[in-house]
Amino acid sequence: MARVNNWQLGREMSYWYPESRPQKQFAAVFDTNKCIACQTCTLACKTTWTSGKGQEYMLWNNVESKPYGSYPLAWDLNLLSLLDGQNWGEENGQSVYKGSTIFESAPAGERVLGWRPEDEDYAYPNVGEDDCAGGIEHGASIEIPHAMAWFYYLARICNHCTYPGCLASCPRGSIYKRPEDGIVLVDQNRCRGYQECVRGCPYKKVFFNPMTSTSEKCIACYPKIEQGLSPQCFANCIGKIRVAGFINTPDKAEADNPIDYLVHIKKVALPLFPQFGLEPNVYYIPPIHVPTAFTRQMFGPGTDKAVEIYRNAPNDQDLTSLLGLFGSTEAIMRKWKRVGDKAIGMDENGKELVNVPFKEPVHIRPAYDKLYQITRTNCP
Amino acid sequence: MRFITWLTILALLFATSCTKVQVPTVEVNVTQVKELTLDPNAAVWDAVSLHASKMILQDLVEPRLLEPSTPEVMVKAITNGSEIAFRLEWLDESQSDMPGPRHFIDGCAVQLPSKLDPNVPAPQMGEVGKTVEISYWRADWQAIVEGRADNINAIYPNASIDHYPAEAKPLENNPQAQAETAARYAPARALGSRRSGPREQPVEDLIAEGPSTLSPAPNSFSKGKGVKTAKGWAVVISRPMPTGFSAATPSQIAFAVWEGSHIEVGARKMRTGWVPLILK
Repeated sequence: MARVNNWQLGREMSYWYPESRPQKQFAAVFDTNKCIACQTCTLACKTTWTSGKGQEYMLWNNVESKPYGSYPLAWDLNLLSLLDGQNWGEENGQSVYKGSTIFESAPAGERVLGWRPEDEDYAYPNVGEDDCAGGIEHGASIEIPHAMAWFYYLARICNHCTYPGCLASCPRGSIYKRPEDGIVLVDQNRCRGYQECVRGCPYKKVFFNPMTSTSEKCIACYPKIEQGLSPQCFANCIGKIRVAGFINTPDKAEADNPIDYLVHIKKVALPLFPQFGLEPNVYYIPPIHVPTAFTRQMFGPGTDKAVEIYRNAPNDQDLTSLLGLFGSTEAIMRKWKRVGDKAIGMDENGKELVNVPFKEPVHIRPAYDKLYQITRTNCP
Repeated sequence: MRFITWLTILALLFATSCTKVQVPTVEVNVTQVKELTLDPNAAVWDAVSLHASKMILQDLVEPRLLEPSTPEVMVKAITNGSEIAFRLEWLDESQSDMPGPRHFIDGCAVQLPSKLDPNVPAPQMGEVGKTVEISYWRADWQAIVEGRADNINAIYPNASIDHYPAEAKPLENNPQAQAETAARYAPARALGSRRSGPREQPVEDLIAEGPSTLSPAPNSFSKGKGVKTAKGWAVVISRPMPTGFSAATPSQIAFAVWEGSHIEVGARKMRTGWVPLILK
């Protein structure tokens, strides 16, 4: 195994291949606080890519209710139980992962630590939908601030990892990472359907097609990416929870890059299970109403701070304006800036793609209407 | 008189049993016959010498097989001069011929050097510059060529599918449009991957120059048939005679077996080393 740098772990780690970062890396930020689990993203993907024979059970994009939802069943819990806990420490003010990744804890004879879902594990794609973390006693009522049990929605696609578990698992080299954008693909001509990638991907985002005897996965809608457009699940998201772009490593972070700003500069968007060691490139703004004891094991040690930053967004015009750009255009925004009360998304040449006011005009209507000499009740 | 009768009966029993038990040879002897058969139960195999090939774990490259399964494969071989057929039989009580997540398929393969050379390639799928030819039989392909539907309902009989775009009403009288639409959702087939089907033979022709290099052979020429026996599989794989192989110039052969229920797939397999292949 080679030694590679994983900035999400704050240290080097062992990986099957030497470090070789693409010219640019496709990345995304999902705001879990905005997701309503309408599954429009799921259907947009399904109808675009996986409506064929052998693809019936595949959901390259899915939305699951946490804490109980998971597709395939217990994809996260099964691997967490195989890993030796999550031990984060701190060195020079930086979080450092002290535990083992799936590559470092590979058993003898295996390329990575993994497990194989059975067909029944795919049979309940929305198990646990809207189930709360705790029981609701008879007579419970909504209390604000939140005192009731919680749940939240986690939308998931392939993370197009910097160190993909699927790629490391394939003994044939059938999986590759595109040098031009870091998108991870299965070569359908070379794949022989051994399902090693299905076993090795901790996020379980590679699926076996029993009709073609090959494994298939999310392709980040690369034909759209090549045209500067966001993938289908982004463009069709009615909650506007997603923004697509490209991420730099922390040492090369650019403040006018939307992804860099949210991940590296504001640190409000976090990787999903960074302790697995794959350096996943879909980042999540954690839910702010969920106990961080839960979300910390999912998004890493930066969770508490990210929640604090997000809660403070109303006082942070830059962050507020960038959050307003989510889902505002199908084009991929390579740059952004705030001008007064407007957020502007731009292409890589700085040409404006979209212009969004993040403060809408507020009109307070007096209760008494002098014109019509009538008193109205102001309803919210 | 009674003693002589019993002695005669015992002698007859002994002689009968001797004709049924074949003593395995250390090499694979190829018997010349007039007509080749793909039927593992054909009578022609009864008179053919038997080789019992001890199998070992594939433990050279990851992922490795750590727990042994199939201990040996019983091999017979015949030729009609232009083609050669191998009959492989091994123990495997479970029948694994349904593909799916965490479902793996019973199979076997024969491997020959591409060129006759005293300096044979490494038995682990050859080496760079020393190609091997592999004929690979799979139980699911056998079921499909024998008529099992190649669709999801054959695997999950209760599956209910709302709609396939390729079967949309506006396309029902346009086979070309149907095929094009189906190909959009089957990229492996659209690329022409022979492995991805549709299948006409249960055997696939492959070449390799070492682990991880397995590729489709330029031409597809192998045929085969496998039948489930009471305790395992009996499979016949036929292919053209290896170039240069004759009574004067023997070759080498190696075998591999995958037991699907033991999560054997790809590199996770039982294999043999090279075994002498001799034309009688």
